Amino acid sequence: MSLYLDQIRVIIWKDLLLELRTRERIAAMGAFAVLAGVLFNYSLDQARVAPQDVAAGLIWMTLVFGGLLGVGRTFHLEAQDGAMDGVLMSPAPKDAVYLGKTLANFALLFPVALLVLGVFWLFFGLDLGSNPGILVLALGLGALGFVALSTLFAAVSSGTHMGETLLPILVFPLLVPMVVYGAGVTGRILVGRPVEEVLGNVRLLAAFALIALAAGAVLFRFVVED
Amino acid sequence: MSITGMRRTGTGLAVVGLLALMFVYWLSFFWVSTEAAQGVAQRIFYVHVPAAWTTFFAFGLCALTSAMYLWLRDERLDRAAVAAAEGGMIFGTIMLTTGPLWGRIAWGTYWTWEPRLTLTLLLWFIFLGYFMVRSSTENPEKGKRFAAVVAIVGALDIPFIHVSVLWFRSLHPQPVVVRPEDGPALPADMLTLLMTSLAAFTVIFLGLFMLRYALEGLRRELDVRARKAAA
Amino acid sequence: MKLATESAPAVQATQTVIEARGLVREYGPVVAVDGVDLALGEGEFLAIFGPNGAGKSSLLGMLGGALRPTSGEVLIRGVPLDFSDGAWRRHVGVLSHKGFLYAHLTAEENLRFYGRLFGLKDLASRIPERLARVGLTDRARFEVRQLSHGMRQRLSLARALLHDPDVVLLDEPYTGLDPSAASVLRDVLRELRDGRRTVVMVTHNLSEGLQLSTRVTIQVEGRLAWEGPTASLEREGFEAFYHKVVEGRT
Repeated sequence: MSLYLDQIRVIIWKDLLLELRTRERIAAMGAFAVLAGVLFNYSLDQARVAPQDVAAGLIWMTLVFGGLLGVGRTFHLEAQDGAMDGVLMSPAPKDAVYLGKTLANFALLFPVALLVLGVFWLFFGLDLGSNPGILVLALGLGALGFVALSTLFAAVSSGTHMGETLLPILVFPLLVPMVVYGAGVTGRILVGRPVEEVLGNVRLLAAFALIALAAGAVLFRFVVED
Repeated sequence: MSITGMRRTGTGLAVVGLLALMFVYWLSFFWVSTEAAQGVAQRIFYVHVPAAWTTFFAFGLCALTSAMYLWLRDERLDRAAVAAAEGGMIFGTIMLTTGPLWGRIAWGTYWTWEPRLTLTLLLWFIFLGYFMVRSSTENPEKGKRFAAVVAIVGALDIPFIHVSVLWFRSLHPQPVVVRPEDGPALPADMLTLLMTSLAAFTVIFLGLFMLRYALEGLRRELDVRARKAAA
Repeated sequence: MKLATESAPAVQATQTVIEARGLVREYGPVVAVDGVDLALGEGEFLAIFGPNGAGKSSLLGMLGGALRPTSGEVLIRGVPLDFSDGAWRRHVGVLSHKGFLYAHLTAEENLRFYGRLFGLKDLASRIPERLARVGLTDRARFEVRQLSHGMRQRLSLARALLHDPDVVLLDEPYTGLDPSAASVLRDVLRELRDGRRTVVMVTHNLSEGLQLSTRVTIQVEGRLAWEGPTASLEREGFEAFYHKVVEGRT
């Protein structure tokens, strides 16, 4: 068991180290988060629409689009030099490889999610509502479910001719529950509803994330085998 | 059953189903009573609802055979999955075209985010992903496995999508869309027609399914023979 | 020299380490490997020669558990390869012209990564020792993309052997090597002929292959057209023999 955990740990270490050296994904996601905020400022008629009212939806859409930007490239570096083949030929179980890559993606996406929240707070004078902690939790659980699904399908799309362009088509339909519940929690908290009202949604977000992780762990081996 | 047997049975079923469907059409125009609230336009219900049920049945079949394909690696299971997926996509398209038409005529709007319609739309896109992934790999075996994964994850997600869409809908009241089957119990003649239509649709689907399965088998046979001739 | 009509019998070694039975590999309509049987014991060094497209890399891929056979099976120490279980992979090391290295990690980091994936404990001492063996000690902190091709191949070799595998699979290791890297490779490969390990090497380099191997096979269009002990071959006439075998099939 400890070898299994260590294998996951070292894959996370390797992915984060690579990201540190290349900085390609975090820069893309971070820049997207900020620039999307800018564009939203110009696309909303703020005389008619109070940002506080629409922020929940916009935050989650920014997270989804920006996240896809970063996660889509998950297997890009692996494809060069056949590095992924080396990992697949090692004794590391395929589900450990999947969990390692997914958790590394989460470590990259979660700060970006917080950044998006921060950008909206800054650009639109957002009031973070009755319970920012639950907001952060919802973002975290949503991000987890998101990376669980998109890491699996990033592996699928990088094995096709179309590559990353296929990823949104595969993933967007599946993200509907996450967006519904995530934006549901966020919207309510932002308008000051009590925490008890959103706990059901938070639980559903957690269930979604858990099932996505489990499905990914089981199915990943069928995607990467040759 | 041999491939020829499948073809014959499939053709037979499809013909029977189509004849039954024509009978259903006749019944829905000339026999069944008119629904009070919506008038004549409501009759599209007898095509629209069975199409929806068939789409979901097809998807369930696709996901199940996909999972078994990954487990057992029997190529015939993959053939069944793709046959089911094609059937599902056809009926899904029918459902997605009849739905908005009905909506427009009966209530004035094409699209109201009605949960069943939304779910079918999303399912249609999952099917689309299934086919796109299947045909865009270099190695066809890989494509089949990828497609199976798409179907399985889709099937796991559908319950979540259904619940979430329903919940969302309950918060945001849309124009009241009273469907006969949501309200008080269906009158007997409507129920009979609905069931008959469902049976006809299912038979057509099974017929198409078997034909498609046989076609896939023939293609594989062709590949094998071509390879033997080349060797 | 005679063309054997069947493969030579399995060796007199104590145990068959790696065995292939009826291996077939298809890519859609293309048949890359068309029914291969092979048996190698401890201490054997097999050189696989053959023209491009003969399916040598696919065969090696199946032996190493990287490719799933379309039919047939591979056994390591009598146990059929189970693609889902990873433990047997500890006994197999692979070197190919793909480096299996991360360009943006240093030499040392690459070895540390693989070492931990393989569950090796003594990396602090093992890594410097292996780097020294392939002459890369002063490049340990260099990122792989800053290394020359020859140095990368040396690092790949160190990576392949890091976990002391019983079975070593080499896919065209001499390709693109400068003479100093080639000589490092030759030395390391000679060390592998220690009687314990089993090596399979696919190569175009007939002379290197003959020098190092104990058995030779020539693969043509997915089948092993000839197989036999190296001792039974004459170095000088071998190239002519090789061409005769390759053309004899077409």
